[in-house]
Amino acid sequence: MSKRSNKNIIQEANLQTSHQITRKYFFKECFSGIGAMALGSMVGGCDWLGEKDRFDQFANTNPLMAQAPHFIGKAKSVIYLHMAGAPSQLELFDYKPELLKLDGQECPQSLLEGKKFAFIRGVPKMLGPQAIFKQRGQSGAWISDNLPHLATVADEISFLKAVQTDQFNHGPAQLLMHTGSARLGRPSIGAWATYGLGSENSNLPGFVVLTSGGNNPDAGKSVWGNGFLPSVYQGVQCRSEGDPVLFLKDPAGIDRDLRKASIDAINEANQLTYNEFKDPETIARMAQYEMAFKMQISVPDVMNINDEPAYIHEMYGTQPGTTSFANNVLLARKLVEKGVRFVQLFDWGWDSHGTDVKNAVDIGLVNKCRSIDKPITALLLDLKQRGLLDETLIVWGGEFGRTPMQENRDGKTLPFKGRDHHTEAFTTWMAGGGIKKGTSFGETDEIGYSAINGKVTAHDMQATILNQLGFDHEKLVYPFQGRSFRLTDVHGRVINEIVA
Amino acid sequence: METIINFIGHFHPVLVHLPIGILLFAILMQIISKWKKFDQLTNALPFAYLLGAISAVFSCLTGLALANNGDYDTDLVFKHQWLGISVAVFSLAGYFFIKKNKTAYVKWLSYLLLLLIILTGHLGGTLTHGEGYLTTGVSKEEDGIEKSNKPIITNAQEALVYKDIIQPILKDKCYGCHSAIKQKGKLRLDEKEWILKGGEDGIIIHAGEAMNSVMYKNILLDPVDEKHMPPKGKPQITDQERILLEWWINTGASFDKKVKELPQTNSIPNILVALQNNNAKKVEVLSIPEKEVAVADEKAINGLKNKGVTIVKVALNSNYLNANFITLSHTNDTIHDLIEDIKENLVWIKMPGMQFTDALTKAIAGCTSLTKLSINNTTISDMQLAKLNSLNELQYLNIVNTKITLAGLLKISNLKKLNQLYLGQTSITANDLNKIKSVFPNAKIDFGNYQVEKLITDTQLVKAPEKFSVKVTEKK
Repeated sequence: MSKRSNKNIIQEANLQTSHQITRKYFFKECFSGIGAMALGSMVGGCDWLGEKDRFDQFANTNPLMAQAPHFIGKAKSVIYLHMAGAPSQLELFDYKPELLKLDGQECPQSLLEGKKFAFIRGVPKMLGPQAIFKQRGQSGAWISDNLPHLATVADEISFLKAVQTDQFNHGPAQLLMHTGSARLGRPSIGAWATYGLGSENSNLPGFVVLTSGGNNPDAGKSVWGNGFLPSVYQGVQCRSEGDPVLFLKDPAGIDRDLRKASIDAINEANQLTYNEFKDPETIARMAQYEMAFKMQISVPDVMNINDEPAYIHEMYGTQPGTTSFANNVLLARKLVEKGVRFVQLFDWGWDSHGTDVKNAVDIGLVNKCRSIDKPITALLLDLKQRGLLDETLIVWGGEFGRTPMQENRDGKTLPFKGRDHHTEAFTTWMAGGGIKKGTSFGETDEIGYSAINGKVTAHDMQATILNQLGFDHEKLVYPFQGRSFRLTDVHGRVINEIVA
Repeated sequence: METIINFIGHFHPVLVHLPIGILLFAILMQIISKWKKFDQLTNALPFAYLLGAISAVFSCLTGLALANNGDYDTDLVFKHQWLGISVAVFSLAGYFFIKKNKTAYVKWLSYLLLLLIILTGHLGGTLTHGEGYLTTGVSKEEDGIEKSNKPIITNAQEALVYKDIIQPILKDKCYGCHSAIKQKGKLRLDEKEWILKGGEDGIIIHAGEAMNSVMYKNILLDPVDEKHMPPKGKPQITDQERILLEWWINTGASFDKKVKELPQTNSIPNILVALQNNNAKKVEVLSIPEKEVAVADEKAINGLKNKGVTIVKVALNSNYLNANFITLSHTNDTIHDLIEDIKENLVWIKMPGMQFTDALTKAIAGCTSLTKLSINNTTISDMQLAKLNSLNELQYLNIVNTKITLAGLLKISNLKKLNQLYLGQTSITANDLNKIKSVFPNAKIDFGNYQVEKLITDTQLVKAPEKFSVKVTEKK
């Protein structure tokens, strides 16, 4: 018995050794591994998504050169009007007569159980709509008297009445809306759009950002950042007052020829660096030098609204020389007319909590509405009469909605009427750029608390925006840290219900 | 106990594949074992038959459990059940015959078994996937017939609300699980009687109260909800269909009334009109010509790029080109020659503010594929526009803020595809609409000159009521 088991041990040992040394065994073990590697390289080498061309653009000297979309896009440019702070859908577009009946009553427990609000504590009271609503145009869209001008162009607009988000603080919610992630570090829609399509005008940046309302959005500049995309795709913030772009002027004593010569010299050195290391950021830097040089001439020209005729100023309600939403809207029109791909507007001051007269839903909000109503209406009509509305997608919205309950910060009654942040249902709209005219998609319950059908998310809106530009949002990708990233991450559905 | 039986039943669709595979393999072995070369396979036959028989018995047991709760067509289930049991019995018999060396019986038995397995399997497939599952998607003609079976609605108001509008929706989205073949939840929706009877949870329609009708409520549920209908992954009820169903139930769920006999609120008339239109073939405006074109000359493209023209394919898989001359204010002969080189490929041209020369006009006139031309704010004259009458594919023309007159515009009246005309800030005004319409009857014509009304509220600000300002001063 013992002899036999000894023999087995020896056999076992011999087998082990042979496993380690025999050629046959080596090949057997390696076959599947090598096969998989070969397959991987073959598959990886194929241009599965038709994206290879897009990466090759870094071999060119200009990463902002115009690129073809996946399919023929209906829109060539986008103007995104973001009302930072989140406007109240219940005072603008989502008419809830039932809520008026409940005004002043205590919020039923069923609406509060398991929910978290930014500021509401305990049991708040319901707050009826603080505006008068009417049905407008042939489409019969409900728009309140807060936006009397927009009401006249209701038939140009597609409303999304049941937008949802999962972020109830401004910063993360804005990031989610614009970068597809509530955390920092992802590229914004404008960056993706310029990465995908490049710029139609080689003298202007592809992605311009304009802010008004006295503050930048809470999420900071990341909300128009390039994330992991080459930095040439980040939004260029322009000002409508003073120098349009800071630090763009030549310093005293440097003339334009000398400036050109120095940029050429720097870029030659950069080209050598690029040839050696092939880092796309080097190309991006070179393109930015070139772009800045061209912008010295082109930007002051396009950013100057003084030369616009009087009837245009009257239409938009613009006053040159100030920073206002109206001026920014007019600039946005000028920019898309010049071939800028993505113009992002942020207007701050829509956070109607009711803690102050400026953010009371029946006072401050009304004034905010007055500041945007005329310019936005003028923008739609002006683009239309220039034959540009069909190729320019206008998106309007905030980062979340507002509660049907009156805010009771820290359980106290606030001096003014206001509403807290609300994630479950809010209204945004799109117009132009191949979007249906005069429709509405999605519906909320009788008091506007939750979406009951036609729910859409930030990712769905992003997928739709890319779709209008001619991109399959699942295929517009960028390889980063070992995997392909996209704007909509693993989410997103094109809202075909509003696509014409 | 009921739940345990239900649970066991769920294993039936998995287990059935064992007897099918094992028995088919056994029969195959039996046939090829006739050859001398493979005769040793005979030794494996009893084992294969026994294994097949055992798995068949287990399939039968789980099958019986599934039939208990499965809401399937009873007639089909009956056939499937007894065929399945016969498979089990005959495979057991096969095992004993082989054991007893009755080779003659075994041969005939195996052929019978083969036939039984095929029949049982097919019926099983019909139960899960529905009648005619084998051919769906294979024969395209059949699909076409299926679709054309949808009633053609020429006048929605005269249509029968149930037969012409509601039933086609149910047929499309619900019959798969709730009709003659299958009755999930013991519910059938293919006849009036069945609809009114409801399913295992009772009545599904409360006439006049859509929000109290299970049939409608389940459509509204979140798609991830277990009770959401149609289930996740199946074709969903569209928004319009949902509104129509709601309307049908709210107006009393009539089975014989005509559309015009029912009250119609809000969006119903529009949707009904859309139904009418859906029957007509959709005319889609193509922004590029249908015919294919060869790849554009790379040299010419790069030449134009170097001149500052933005030029790019309209889409990755297209050879048609989109050119934007926005950075240029005038052109020269080099540019005209380059345009000439890619004239077949250019479909969209934008050159706002361009100095228009006759040479440029000639170059553009050669671009016969052109569908979209934006020459707003240019110096183009009536004479030059007349030369563009060769652009037979042109659909969009933007001559905003040019010297073009009505007479000039009428000179290109042969361009029948023109369907969008932007004429703002020209001498052409809305008064000329009829004349233009008579030439371009289908065109969308925009004369611009829009105005935004002046309202007092535009510049006024709302102030807080007096009592609040008092409060604020008190604080100070």
